[in-house]
Amino acid sequence: MFDDDAVERVVRYLRRSVRIDPALDHRVMEEIAALPAGPAVPAGGVWRWLTGRRLTLTPLGALGLAAAFVVAVVGVWRVRAAPDAVEPALRGFQFVLVEPHAANVSLVGDFNDWDATRTPMHRTPGDGLWSAVVPLEPGRYRYAFLIDGRLWVADPTAPTTRDDDFGAPSSVLTVGGL
Amino acid sequence: MSKGRCDATPGREGIGDVGTSDAALVRRVRAGDTAAYADLVARYRDRLGRYALHMLGNREDAEEALQDAFVRAYRSLARCDDPERFGAWLYGILVNRCRTTGARAARRARRFVSDPTALETTPLPGPAEQTEWDDIVRWALARLAPEAREAFLLKHVEELEYEDIAQLTGAGISALKMRVKRAREQLQAILREAEHV
Repeated sequence: MFDDDAVERVVRYLRRSVRIDPALDHRVMEEIAALPAGPAVPAGGVWRWLTGRRLTLTPLGALGLAAAFVVAVVGVWRVRAAPDAVEPALRGFQFVLVEPHAANVSLVGDFNDWDATRTPMHRTPGDGLWSAVVPLEPGRYRYAFLIDGRLWVADPTAPTTRDDDFGAPSSVLTVGGL
Repeated sequence: MSKGRCDATPGREGIGDVGTSDAALVRRVRAGDTAAYADLVARYRDRLGRYALHMLGNREDAEEALQDAFVRAYRSLARCDDPERFGAWLYGILVNRCRTTGARAARRARRFVSDPTALETTPLPGPAEQTEWDDIVRWALARLAPEAREAFLLKHVEELEYEDIAQLTGAGISALKMRVKRAREQLQAILREAEHV
């Protein structure tokens, strides 16, 4: 059939090897050399500590959050990174979503490369409240919630980005300088 | 993402793992041997570049996304939990960088057309102007919605399994299958159109 043959021809064509200018290697290594710290410096320990915590909310706070449906709460602490860390300073930000019927919720955004596995949100027993804490340095971040691995939800209480990548809803958070 | 599948997929074609393994290079970088990272960049440059090039449609944007992915991966190397799967992990970063770069490119394009309605109805260059097959393919890909193009390329060109694509993109498997199906249908229609012009 012409149509299938044509698509298969496109596929075969696209599978051909592509040659990227090897000068890119040099540019990458130059950029790396200009970084303020060496490789692989973990924010990892701090990251895991932060994301692994369950957060307890006051009843008043929980009520307010539920009424608002979703709230991003300004950070509760600052984390000073090690002197050789990539991030000079981080602030913890709590993201909260009320979604009683979800089996799992992930926070995805620029800060975790939109990786749904990296920041699972934790459910507060009994109230359908999901939360996660992310350490962020000053900057502008787009983010969204991923419910049950398939439903993308923007934060209705935060500005919506106009530059979403693929039409999926997302919100924007701007972290000011310290 | 199953381990065996991911180990094999990103570099299925071409470059074999001759010499130092990814894991060994990652360990050297983590130990402070920054130069070892150049080996990883060289190893993955072309194979990941193919996806970036097809996804973004031009070399400038593709190389920007690729460079950004490599640098981000370097900065986050501590979070690569399984160095044996560095390639799959890097692939995920690139997919996201392509999204960001693609969105930025779309914004650039929008600056020239302030009326969104006009943008949607403005036809892309017609196939009559594209005489080479390469141009036709790029033209056809560019007409796919970004999420459909992404799913189509990951499934049919990069030959990933749906489970792996779901991990990389955050989309559900059913949604991905639908995107691929629609992408194929759209491509068929576009190519048929090209055939008749």
